[in-house]
Amino acid sequence: MIVGRRETWTGRLLLVLLMAVTLMPFLSLFVTALHPSGSYPSGLEWPRDPQWGNFVKAFQAARMIELVKSSTLIVLGVVPVALLLGTMAGFAIGHLRMAGRNVVFLAFVLGLTLPFEGIITPLYYQVRDMGLLNTRWAIILPLIGLFMPFAVFWMRAHFVNMPDELSESARMDGANVWQLFWRIHVPLAMPALSSLAILLFLWTWNQFLLAIVLVDDPLKRTMSGALGAFQGQWGTDMPLLCAGSLLILAPTLVIFLIFQRRFVTALLQGSLKG
Amino acid sequence: MSRRTRWNGAALAVVMGGTLAAGCGAPGGDAPQPEAPSATLATAPTCGTAPVTLNAYVETGFPLPKELSSEFSKQHPNVKWNIREDQFAVITQNAPRVLADDPPDLMRLPQVSELVKNNLLKNLDGYAKAFGWDSWPASQLEQMRMTPGGKTRGEGSLYAMGLNFSMTGVFYNKKLAAKIGMSSPPATLAELDDALAKAKSAGITPIAQFNGGATGGLAFPLQDLMAAYGPSGPINDWIYQKPGATIDTPSNLQATRHLEKWIKAGHFWKDVNAVDYATMMSRFIKGDGLFMFDGDWESGNLDKQMPGDVGFFLMPPAQQGGRQAAMSAPLAFGISSRAKNADCAAFFLNWVATDPKAREIGVKVGGSHPMGPADAPMPEVTKGTVTASTLEAGAKIAEDDGAMDFIANATGAIYAKSWTPQLQKLVAGQQTPEELLKSVQSDYTSQVGGS
Amino acid sequence: MTRPTPDSVVDPPATSPGPAAVTRKRGHARAAGLRTPRWVGWLFVAPALGVYAVFVLRPIALTVQYSMYRWDGIGPSTWAGLGNYARVFTDPDLYDSILNAVKLIVFFSVIPVVLGLMSASTIRRIAASRLALVGRTVLFLPQVIPLVAAGIAWSWLLSSAGLVNQLLTSVGLGGVARAWLGDFSTALPAVGVIGAWVLLGLCTILLLSGMSKIDPALYEAARMDGAGPLREFLSITVPSLRQEIGVCVTVTVIAALASFDIVYVSTQGGPGNATMVPGLEIYYLAFSERQVGIASALAVVLMVLVLVVALPIQWLTKDRSS
Repeated sequence: MIVGRRETWTGRLLLVLLMAVTLMPFLSLFVTALHPSGSYPSGLEWPRDPQWGNFVKAFQAARMIELVKSSTLIVLGVVPVALLLGTMAGFAIGHLRMAGRNVVFLAFVLGLTLPFEGIITPLYYQVRDMGLLNTRWAIILPLIGLFMPFAVFWMRAHFVNMPDELSESARMDGANVWQLFWRIHVPLAMPALSSLAILLFLWTWNQFLLAIVLVDDPLKRTMSGALGAFQGQWGTDMPLLCAGSLLILAPTLVIFLIFQRRFVTALLQGSLKG
Repeated sequence: MSRRTRWNGAALAVVMGGTLAAGCGAPGGDAPQPEAPSATLATAPTCGTAPVTLNAYVETGFPLPKELSSEFSKQHPNVKWNIREDQFAVITQNAPRVLADDPPDLMRLPQVSELVKNNLLKNLDGYAKAFGWDSWPASQLEQMRMTPGGKTRGEGSLYAMGLNFSMTGVFYNKKLAAKIGMSSPPATLAELDDALAKAKSAGITPIAQFNGGATGGLAFPLQDLMAAYGPSGPINDWIYQKPGATIDTPSNLQATRHLEKWIKAGHFWKDVNAVDYATMMSRFIKGDGLFMFDGDWESGNLDKQMPGDVGFFLMPPAQQGGRQAAMSAPLAFGISSRAKNADCAAFFLNWVATDPKAREIGVKVGGSHPMGPADAPMPEVTKGTVTASTLEAGAKIAEDDGAMDFIANATGAIYAKSWTPQLQKLVAGQQTPEELLKSVQSDYTSQVGGS
Repeated sequence: MTRPTPDSVVDPPATSPGPAAVTRKRGHARAAGLRTPRWVGWLFVAPALGVYAVFVLRPIALTVQYSMYRWDGIGPSTWAGLGNYARVFTDPDLYDSILNAVKLIVFFSVIPVVLGLMSASTIRRIAASRLALVGRTVLFLPQVIPLVAAGIAWSWLLSSAGLVNQLLTSVGLGGVARAWLGDFSTALPAVGVIGAWVLLGLCTILLLSGMSKIDPALYEAARMDGAGPLREFLSITVPSLRQEIGVCVTVTVIAALASFDIVYVSTQGGPGNATMVPGLEIYYLAFSERQVGIASALAVVLMVLVLVVALPIQWLTKDRSS
């Protein structure tokens, strides 16, 4: 029992320490953001005269409203379509078990480990030839394709576990395959779908490489790509850069804090589920 | 079993079909066609009266282009601006891609030869004739001229235009100079060495310089040392990609060794490899560092931030009374060969050089000599300011014919991929002067001959 | 997960129902299949396969094709055969970038997994307390923010005037203070620390959730046998977490090999080429140096490398007992 208590305390201490290390960068960003614009504050030093106005300045300099709008448009373009296509394919492979599914599934699974850098070069020329460079479609369309392996993989794992009896009784009632899919299986897949939606949202919002290569205008990029541009432009002004970084990472942070339980579950499942 | 195999085979065919459809024929071949030599313009172009939005891509951290553009819009209210800003290293990386696929009307140019090679820049000869740029002092435009196909720089057609004509040298903190008893700028390299040593022993950082990230700022003192040890001509030949030019010469080796001596003596900050340009400026302004190798684009800024406390001198020659040289280059802007508003952009460039108000902004904000005809009125500059002394130094350079382009501009990738990493290694003691020059030269050869 | 890509998550397909269950279901499927033409499934797969083929498979094929040409991305190209691959393995700048990525594995994988195991097993004791709940939220923060933001924040922390040096100086270690990202000997480890920061929370939480599934009776039995905490950890905890550890290792190794965002923001590959990684080198080669062929050869090498490393890890840690 005494041993148990000591372990408990080391557990607490360790956890607090880990939390401190995790929060340190955020704290440093925050404190630096309050220093006078253009100065080089050293270390963690509370400014004599906190410049709360830096956040307003960064908000305007980064054109936050337009940025949020752009990222939202991109997310709206990617996530619903990727969900639908991924679910349909997962349904076919996992539940309808159509012929040749093993090869198709293997083709998708091999894409799971693909580093985006591997295909960014041809993707650039392809998107350019489609005339989509510097439009949001340049991020949306490739991302849908790039998300397919994971989406299909994820939804197949769900459908594989759905009992066949469910479909059989529906078919008795005269439902065709589409009705079976849309009316019976999609509603039942909601938990899996919502977790997948959260993951795809996060990965889209934070997508960096595609944004900086395929879209020059920061106002048509994802949040993460826009932050890259913001750093390019304001990297010489540390407090403003810190204020801008905090603003740009705020939306996902807020959404995470609101839906944290779903997020954590989704991210854990995203790693573990099979 | 056989049924399944057949289906899998069919599936495989479907999956691979879409994939392989891609793979026929060699990539490329859709290159922009060389532009027809620009036709002679009957009258000089203008921005007209209809609303125009000029797309510009400029370097961040320098207020000059923005000030000029807003003044221009004041005088020509139909012209609006859409300005994108990035750090210079980012512009360098993006230049070919942006010019080819998202053509700006005006763009701050890094190195031009590869851009001309790929027909990405507009040939400005027609504008030069129409606006009379040809009658300006030839040295102003020389660096922006290229022979057809971008083979050699320094002659041929005009592919860019400067907003002003900047020049580099050495700034010094007068208060710190007084502490070590330096009453006038050093006249020889030996005197400079002496001052550096004195500062070091007085506990003052002798040289404020940047060398971090993708921009190796030690290239500034290095090139100044090269010019002190040898003539500037061969250095320019190398930058202009003249056949057979090399950077690996005995006098350049001496210069690189000298720089290494400074590094070993601790004349730079210990963390110089992590100091970026902005950090250097902020530390120098705070009083950390006696000398700083930098350009006159900072004179206006320094006059404001440390009024009366900063001096400027050209890199002293190795021998008393020797010729002096300095990196001196137009703040080059180009027009994409696919620009929508090329005429208006050209009109703006001409306006910058000839409009009195624009010339004043060029000097006050930009700190450098404006472009334009030799007899154009010079804006008034207060005596004793850094701006005044940099403008004076400009005259001396013209007299000694000592203008050099920057060694970092020899090829598109030479700065980020050769000079910067090599100089960072030199600082860390991981590279010798001999190997540094050899390595840069071999990169240069493969880039010039290769692409 | 480690970076905003879906591919960083590789799951062992075998965690779905065991072989017996699958066989039973297939029997049913055949019955259902009689009523549903087997090709109908293809209609459902076609759209997904279509976008996947156009935006992933085709570019992969093109990368392979480009890798055999010399091409500046604008003008005509010339056939180069395997010459570009020869460059990748002989040019120190290029293969060093691969070596750097391999070295990053120590920081991106080994540290988060080892530290994660240690902390998770300690934290397990207080898993139900409020502190643990708050901790779970906090440790997840690095997972939801853009890696770019992490890079910016840490560049600042690790700069000469940053908090890290301030802390070191305050405990009397001012002598080792330096610009961590600008020093040849510390730049790569410093980049690694940023990666470890991003991934540690994920690994800890993942392992923690795995631990909650371990039957407590196992531990009781071990205690009865007089096993100490270490024995307990090595003979019960670690083996039971085989699958979770496998996932952690896979995710983090891929994050290390395919790192881009953090390096792009914090060091741009410098000083020298001390932190150059393949992802960044590909970006530079393809878009600023305009050597599309060599960039593509490096891209192919990177894709193969990731596959070659990820597959065995999956195979080794696959849960074959169930």
